[in-house]
Amino acid sequence: MKMIMLAVPALLIAAPATAQVMAPTEYVTTAGASDLYEITSSQLVLQSTTDPKIRQFAQMMVAHHTKSTADVKAAAAKSRVDAPPPALNPLQTELVTELQSENGPARDAAYIAQQKSSHQQALNVQKAYATDGSAAPLKAAAKKIVPVVQSHIAMLMKM
Amino acid sequence: MPRLIGVASARGLFVSVMLASTAPAVAQSPQSVNAPPPSPPAAVATQPAKPAPDMQAVLDAMMALNAKPIETLTPLKARLQPTAADGAHAVMRRQGTSTAPDPAVTSRDIPYGSDPMQFARVYRPAAARPDAKLPVMVYYHGGGWVIADVNVYDATPRLMAKQLNAIVVSVEYRHAPEAKFPAQHEDAANAYRWTLDKVASWGGDPSKVVLAGESAGGNLAVATAIYARDNRLTMPLHILSVYPIANSDMNLPSKRDSANAKPLNTAMLKWFGHYYSKSMADVQDPRLNLVRANLRGLPPTTIVNAQIDPLRSDGETLAAAMRTAGNQVEQRTFPGVTHEFFGLGKVVRGAYDAENYVIGRVSAALTK
Repeated sequence: MKMIMLAVPALLIAAPATAQVMAPTEYVTTAGASDLYEITSSQLVLQSTTDPKIRQFAQMMVAHHTKSTADVKAAAAKSRVDAPPPALNPLQTELVTELQSENGPARDAAYIAQQKSSHQQALNVQKAYATDGSAAPLKAAAKKIVPVVQSHIAMLMKM
Repeated sequence: MPRLIGVASARGLFVSVMLASTAPAVAQSPQSVNAPPPSPPAAVATQPAKPAPDMQAVLDAMMALNAKPIETLTPLKARLQPTAADGAHAVMRRQGTSTAPDPAVTSRDIPYGSDPMQFARVYRPAAARPDAKLPVMVYYHGGGWVIADVNVYDATPRLMAKQLNAIVVSVEYRHAPEAKFPAQHEDAANAYRWTLDKVASWGGDPSKVVLAGESAGGNLAVATAIYARDNRLTMPLHILSVYPIANSDMNLPSKRDSANAKPLNTAMLKWFGHYYSKSMADVQDPRLNLVRANLRGLPPTTIVNAQIDPLRSDGETLAAAMRTAGNQVEQRTFPGVTHEFFGLGKVVRGAYDAENYVIGRVSAALTK
């Protein structure tokens, strides 16, 4: 059954009144892009920040989002779904360029503002796939990522 | 074992048949961010007025970030789309203007309820003395109660805190379809009550409060003032309502002349209603259809509208209804601008003018 479901993602999307959850490949691409944006922006702020709290947070973001990329990639392999190398979408590319254009405390502040927004979006993506996703290994990976993103949001609430 | 395809689509078909028989105009969605969008309304040929070049530049930048039509998406995918604020940031960045938050204002996030979405971002002028008794603005963001959040709507509360030398409480609230109407109105009212209780401890003056909001939040500002009146809470000194959702009549002039406007079109209004309402009756509820609410005894009000916006007539008819009810209302429609223009004053002249107009109106109300 699993194999049949994987073979017909287009059919699932086309069915009118059913949940239009992201197809497995779209989930893998979206999660990968989100992780890459987190890693890239955090590495950028690590080059310039003198704030120890931001340094610690950014280091944690690099570690956690590197791990979630690996976990999703492994789950994609189990689900027999292609996991192309992650790439930033146009908005994420713009956000990184905006961070590059700032220096010192302004970059720190822009980074935190971006993190608050992007983590809310990441939580939406992971929760949605954890609830309705069609590929079981990817769904299980999303379920494990949800509390990690929630812990990041709790940290950002204090920043 | 995942759901069988046949079972899933059979169930979906059954649900859609049920909805079709009970709710012909707006089929309400399940409480899932993966729920499919409603069928689009009939296409309207009318093309909207042309925005001013600086407004068009923001819309072009937003489209260049690959913004897809919201009305064709699930709530999840709609929430991932670039916003007008993202477009404005891209324009600022290209002009060499900083997109970083203005350091003249600090902010912190404080919960007011147990749901993770029930928190407020409290903005405070960085230079304010700790013992200052600052005036207070309670502000509600827009997004049709489905998309966007306090992060997307940072510009207005930050600007207001600085220019009014005020504490601005930007209220996050539960979103639809996970939580449907009236969850957002309940959260708005609870956050207002909570602010009145807490604001003295943040250096604010609980007797000098203004209610404000944009779009869906412009509705919440008026609805919360009505709630305050009915529940004998401290009344706000002023209401600022920027392009509110206020009139459920889908045949108003702006819903036709701006049916194809950007970044808000009339199809998106139907899309929002599909996700936030539980039944057809909800749309006629006076908390949504404010023009039919009891509007007596409300404070002086400023309503701001954009010319190229399907919600323009909502603001104009709300102003008329509030005046008929005996309130002092000033309503202005700014030319050459679209929905979401407010707060873009760094790159859009019409927005700069509207912001200064509002700052003048609210300052006067606070110093009376």
